[in-house]
Amino acid sequence: MKARVTCAAPLETSELLGYWLGELPAEREAEVEEHLFACRECSAALGELVALGDAFRALLAGGGAAGVVPPEFVARLKAAGLRVREYRMEPQGSIDCTIAPHDDLVLAHLEAPLEGVERLDVVIHEIEARRTQRLEDVGFSAASREVVVVPKARDLRGIDKASQRVELIAVSPAGERLLGTYTFHHSRYRRG
Amino acid sequence: MATEAVDNAYDDATLARRIIAAGPARDAAAEARLYASLAPRVRLYGRKHLRDAQRADDLVQDVLLMTFDRLSRGEIREPERIASFVLGACRQTVIDLKRGEARRARLLDTYGADLVAEGDDDAGPPDTQRLEHCLETLSHRERTVVLMTFYDDSPAEAVAQALGLAPGNVRVIRHRAVERLRRCIGGAEP
Repeated sequence: MKARVTCAAPLETSELLGYWLGELPAEREAEVEEHLFACRECSAALGELVALGDAFRALLAGGGAAGVVPPEFVARLKAAGLRVREYRMEPQGSIDCTIAPHDDLVLAHLEAPLEGVERLDVVIHEIEARRTQRLEDVGFSAASREVVVVPKARDLRGIDKASQRVELIAVSPAGERLLGTYTFHHSRYRRG
Repeated sequence: MATEAVDNAYDDATLARRIIAAGPARDAAAEARLYASLAPRVRLYGRKHLRDAQRADDLVQDVLLMTFDRLSRGEIREPERIASFVLGACRQTVIDLKRGEARRARLLDTYGADLVAEGDDDAGPPDTQRLEHCLETLSHRERTVVLMTFYDDSPAEAVAQALGLAPGNVRVIRHRAVERLRRCIGGAEP
């Protein structure tokens, strides 16, 4: 049975999110809750946002999401039960890496001097394929000493052997500054 | 605020009146429809306050079975305020959640099989392939913020702290990203 009326005062997405994430003052939260119980349309809108979260979790667990995340997020992934293979590298480092069948995610901690950096770009060179991708203005904390790159695990599983060079570049009005280069030699998982 | 959706409340109220009128003879069709209408709201309440999908499903059954029981006994005198009654029951049930397993089992025996078979109006999650595409249309910073927000329902303060941003800035990025994702998932944007 679908809703067949339009709410006269629909709650804004930002307020629905604020309610869901526990950001609203208690009194406003109670008002929003009353409205949600009386209003099928706003409740359905909140349901869509919650379903979006479910889909994000499924996407990450299925290896279909890639991105750059702060180190704090890795702890949350592991706390949620994801099996995470981690590599840690210093600038100018090089490492052999793989993804095992039982890994949900593989990620790389790239250590770098981030203090004072306002904008950070990540440049990924796929060496054999001669392709370059630039991730502009990634999320990071300047107070942290690392960024964490999460590739799509699903894509990694399909690679037999390949190398990537990753560069972290600080961008400012004065120009660009290379913070570090990190080389990954990926090969298909071999037991033992 | 509760009066803004009066027609929806009327639908629920009409069904509640039918259940009251049927009494012990039960109006199974009205019960199934009211369950389908209210279950998504109760489930969302449960997921917010219990942060556990299974326990939220348990809450749906606890609250709605109790509601139908009280309706059929004629113990709810204002069926037009059924949504408000259910919200109050949700609040109390979350407090009492760890009690009442025996009562739940008894009510499930009476009403459960019919209602579970009917299902409810809850929407499923969006297609993950579409979400994967839509996620890639966001800027990298937006992507990080929404992943962190939605992965485990992190408030803006926590995301802001991890990214060295102001909470207000995170809310702006989050809002913009969510609106774009919703349009993309809905097909309004490529």
